[in-house]
Amino acid sequence: MDTDTMDEVAPIEIAKPQEAKRSAAGREVVFDTRDLSISYGKSLAVGGVTLKAYENLVTAIIGPSGCGKSTFLRSLNRMNDLIPGARVDGEVLYHDQNIYANGVDPVEVRRRIGMVFQKPNPFPKSIYDNVAWGLRVLGMKDGLDDRVQRALTQAALWDEVKDRLKKGAFGLSGGQQQRLCIARAIAVEPDVVLLDEPASALDPIATAKIEDLMHELKNDYTLVIVTHNMQQAARVADMTAFFSLERTESGGHGVLVEYDETQKIFTQPSDKRTEGYVTGRFG
Amino acid sequence: MAEQMRVTFQDELEQVEAALQEEGDYVLRSLRATVNALEQADSELADEVIAFDDEIDNRYFSIQEGIQSLLARQTPVAVDLRLVLAMLHTNLHLERMGDYCVTIAKLTKLASDAEQDERLVQAFEEMGQRAEEMIRVALVSFQRRDLAGASSLVDLDELIDRANRRAVERVLDFADDVSKREWGLRMIIVSRCLERIGDHAVDIGEQTAYLITGEFREFTDASHPAGS
Repeated sequence: MDTDTMDEVAPIEIAKPQEAKRSAAGREVVFDTRDLSISYGKSLAVGGVTLKAYENLVTAIIGPSGCGKSTFLRSLNRMNDLIPGARVDGEVLYHDQNIYANGVDPVEVRRRIGMVFQKPNPFPKSIYDNVAWGLRVLGMKDGLDDRVQRALTQAALWDEVKDRLKKGAFGLSGGQQQRLCIARAIAVEPDVVLLDEPASALDPIATAKIEDLMHELKNDYTLVIVTHNMQQAARVADMTAFFSLERTESGGHGVLVEYDETQKIFTQPSDKRTEGYVTGRFG
Repeated sequence: MAEQMRVTFQDELEQVEAALQEEGDYVLRSLRATVNALEQADSELADEVIAFDDEIDNRYFSIQEGIQSLLARQTPVAVDLRLVLAMLHTNLHLERMGDYCVTIAKLTKLASDAEQDERLVQAFEEMGQRAEEMIRVALVSFQRRDLAGASSLVDLDELIDRANRRAVERVLDFADDVSKREWGLRMIIVSRCLERIGDHAVDIGEQTAYLITGEFREFTDASHPAGS
């Protein structure tokens, strides 16, 4: 065989290139918290958090108990408003608008920024009514059946419940109930879904389903998840924020130690405290 | 009900494995050009082989990064863990094969003005073909999880080893001829590089065997030659 250049040598089929990893570069900033501190009464729970969360990414918040992860998460859709004595300093900019500014309606904030909690908490109603509930309250009643079906499909639950929509939600397994709560949250077409330990009450199979679901949902929504389970953050998140507890004379409060691409946090964190936590050496 | 779970993880594993096969294709392409450059004393083609090694290295690093990500983020276990570890080794073996091609290409350039020995050049063509065949068998056995195919690499390696010994003997035959001596010495290294490429193919076969059986073992080594 005469060959003069590499191009003529044994042509090969090039396998498909690796799907580009999702990164924050060029993405719209959904949340931009600036020196955000949250206190309960006189006690500071979490202090001075400055962090940007990006569109269509999963942002995970990890850290030891008491470091203010959930408090921070709940500040992103004004859930802490419901706790007497809770105070917020600094800013939470959501698409450049401060959600704590005068005149901002917290109900509208929560419609755009939905939330799923640790323990599945369906209403004592039928599967259908659980999903339709928010839609009815908000007057989104046109094509109600379609909206319910779409939400249940997006939450990867439709096939399992389509024949028993009128049955009570409590007849579902824990994992199914949690996916129902996700369906309920996304039915009203929010922009963001906040998830506070969404799988910690579930068995490993149900957990894996929720994690798979998050990979699907991030195509349509921006997700922020708090998790105790570091490996879960490693598996599902594009960006990871590590919070830790800073001890002070008056006790201690949560601080943001490091925020970076998940890959970086789990392979080469910049801060010794992060390294200590993710390697399990302390925390 | 066996639904597929952890879809993203499985996708990532498949992507890394596909990239590994692609790296293997690049090595085959490099080896073919290396042997052609050697036969035709073609310095330009040798330069292309040297430059092309960057392509192989890029894939090597990208696979390394993919494996790092899988280990850091997905905690693979059981067959997934074995696959990740086998890919980690195989990646390095392929990259080393690419480096041997570069060494041969450099020697080709150094020896391009010298008079060649026709018989030796023919022997290298044969060794090159055997090395290519071994790489193909190694890659396909890995892809198909084919233990028998992977084990067959030991016998194929025996053939390339013999060819290497014959090449050395051939150089000794004309070593008295001063005009050919320098070229001959360089060609002993070329022969050695081709033989080492075969060894790396056997090592990939061992990784395939580990992937399938979970046992760490060498097919053969210096202290336990084949058939003993």
